[in-house]
Amino acid sequence: MIRVVSFFCVTLMGLSILTLYHISEQARVARQDLRNTERRIAAEQSQISVLEAQWQKVAGPEVVQKLAEGSLGMNDAATVQLSSLTQLPRRGDAPAEQVHVAAAPVPAAAPIVKVSMRSGT
Amino acid sequence: MTPPSAVFKRRIVIGALMCVAAFTLIGARLVGVTLLRGDDIVAKRSAPVFRARADLVDRNGALMARDLPADDLYARPNKLADKRRSARELAVATGVDEKRLVELLLGKHNAVLVARRLAATARQKVDVLRLPGLEYTPNSKRYYPDGRMAAQVVGVTDPDGKGVSGLEKGLDSRLRAAAAPVATSIDTRVQFVVAHEAQASKDEFRARAAGGLVMDVRTGEILALVSLPDFDPNARDFTDSDTRRNIMVQDVYELGSVFKIFSFAMAIDNHTVRLDEVLPIGSGYKIGRYTIHEAESMPATLTARDVLALSSNIGTAQIVLRSGAERQRAFLSNMGLLSPVGSELPESAHPLYPKPGHWGIVETATIGYGHGISVSPLSLAAAAAAVVNGGRRIAPTLLRHPEDARGGQVISPETSATMRDLLRCVVTNGTGRKADVPGYDVGGKTGSAEKNDGRHYQSHKLVTSFLGVFPIEDPRYLVLVVLDEPRGTKATAGFALAGFTAAPLAGHVIARIAPLLGVPMNPITAAKENS
Repeated sequence: MIRVVSFFCVTLMGLSILTLYHISEQARVARQDLRNTERRIAAEQSQISVLEAQWQKVAGPEVVQKLAEGSLGMNDAATVQLSSLTQLPRRGDAPAEQVHVAAAPVPAAAPIVKVSMRSGT
Repeated sequence: MTPPSAVFKRRIVIGALMCVAAFTLIGARLVGVTLLRGDDIVAKRSAPVFRARADLVDRNGALMARDLPADDLYARPNKLADKRRSARELAVATGVDEKRLVELLLGKHNAVLVARRLAATARQKVDVLRLPGLEYTPNSKRYYPDGRMAAQVVGVTDPDGKGVSGLEKGLDSRLRAAAAPVATSIDTRVQFVVAHEAQASKDEFRARAAGGLVMDVRTGEILALVSLPDFDPNARDFTDSDTRRNIMVQDVYELGSVFKIFSFAMAIDNHTVRLDEVLPIGSGYKIGRYTIHEAESMPATLTARDVLALSSNIGTAQIVLRSGAERQRAFLSNMGLLSPVGSELPESAHPLYPKPGHWGIVETATIGYGHGISVSPLSLAAAAAAVVNGGRRIAPTLLRHPEDARGGQVISPETSATMRDLLRCVVTNGTGRKADVPGYDVGGKTGSAEKNDGRHYQSHKLVTSFLGVFPIEDPRYLVLVVLDEPRGTKATAGFALAGFTAAPLAGHVIARIAPLLGVPMNPITAAKENS
């Protein structure tokens, strides 16, 4: 009986040592992977952070205005050319001939004002 | 007596049990470490991106300031084979002075600092060199994507990441403590429009300085705050024309006729004037040994309504003298104009005004039309917002706060409504015509003040301003623009008065920001003004 118990204990000890070593090795490899992944995540986060800041710069109103004026030939619209959905007449509320006239006409006396001629009379 | 075999057997069993207990403990510990504490270890190891301060964002979440990773680069000279060549390559990659680098690498130190806060592009160049003995320590650099556009209001940090001006200083403790971005009241789009238009007017009228702000009169939020000249917050060096001084907050001005807003609000609230009564104007108004003159020629008589519309100094002096010095001082004090205005900005300015013993009849008259009292533009805007928002006190804020923040009543709602009518009259029939924007019902007041050199008022050196409110029926936004020493142009026939310089500037700003802010257009006035 004692031999059996002793054998069982020694076997258990041996198996435990092997299992422990195996788990320890797995943990070491996993820790290494984790460290690498964390490093990559940190690098990605840093890059995202930089890219967000750069995006804010290139998508800022100053750059957009320059591009709109330079590449698309756009300029400030007179306010009366702008409207909103709430100001559009509902189909049933207005006579048919008025429905398609959504915006007021551009004022003749005060056309689009350019920066260089803003103080004109 | 127990036989020896039984004793051995018992000892062996005890030994076996101890072994089992030991292995059970080890197993339990293994389970605990691997399964139960795993998350803690991961949490400990997942170090966040190095960031000393929280982001500053505008009211729509657009980034205004962020700490970007910019590590410090160190070198261990004893690991570098060819120190001179390494110094040359590192100097090219980092932009550091090569001579200084050679001295450092040839020195006796174990580790030397090559460059602080290395930009990502420079770091890539360094990494390509594959030099041994290079190490990075985490650091960061504050970056402002909007550059000069919001520099005066956002401010900057010092090399150690501590706020030294603007919101960076005013919100320093909050930015250090907060993990989430701090939302300001600034709207980047509106800020850009005000900055762009102010710069254009500054250039056109060759003004010394220009500034502008946009404020929500119900919540007190400042949507834009511009002061020119400005500076580049991303560069450590200033050019000759750069300044960190915010003229809208730090400087006090005699702002001239915009102050008539308060004189009329006081007179109407005190029932000391009827808007249809006729006042004699003439060519001058004598008070003791002083004579008050008009900036422009005026008719012999004016109704009280036209006194404000045409900005008559003589008419305003007569109206304000009916209230007297005591009531005027109490009124201005109640409006918050006799003390520095509070905001999240660390910069502020104390108003300048006569002491009670020196606040006589002459001072009462001149303060009535904005001379003899100097306040900061922000202070004036906060007080004027209270006049038009239903008569309730409002404190300016640079933090996002979209709820109604109006406080106690400072003038009656009826007086506030009358003042709105009068301000609209200034734009439709008075000196502020060039600020009108079809469809947006702008009300406002011009101000042209001669600058004082310490002894005399200089007629050729003006501070012009325009305070506009829209839509005037139910005001939501206030625009204040200031030009310091503008000069007349050929297009203005040489005039540099506010009606020719500041009023058009305010009109351009309102025309661009009103659609952005979703202000409903009045189709009736739009059609009327177009025709």
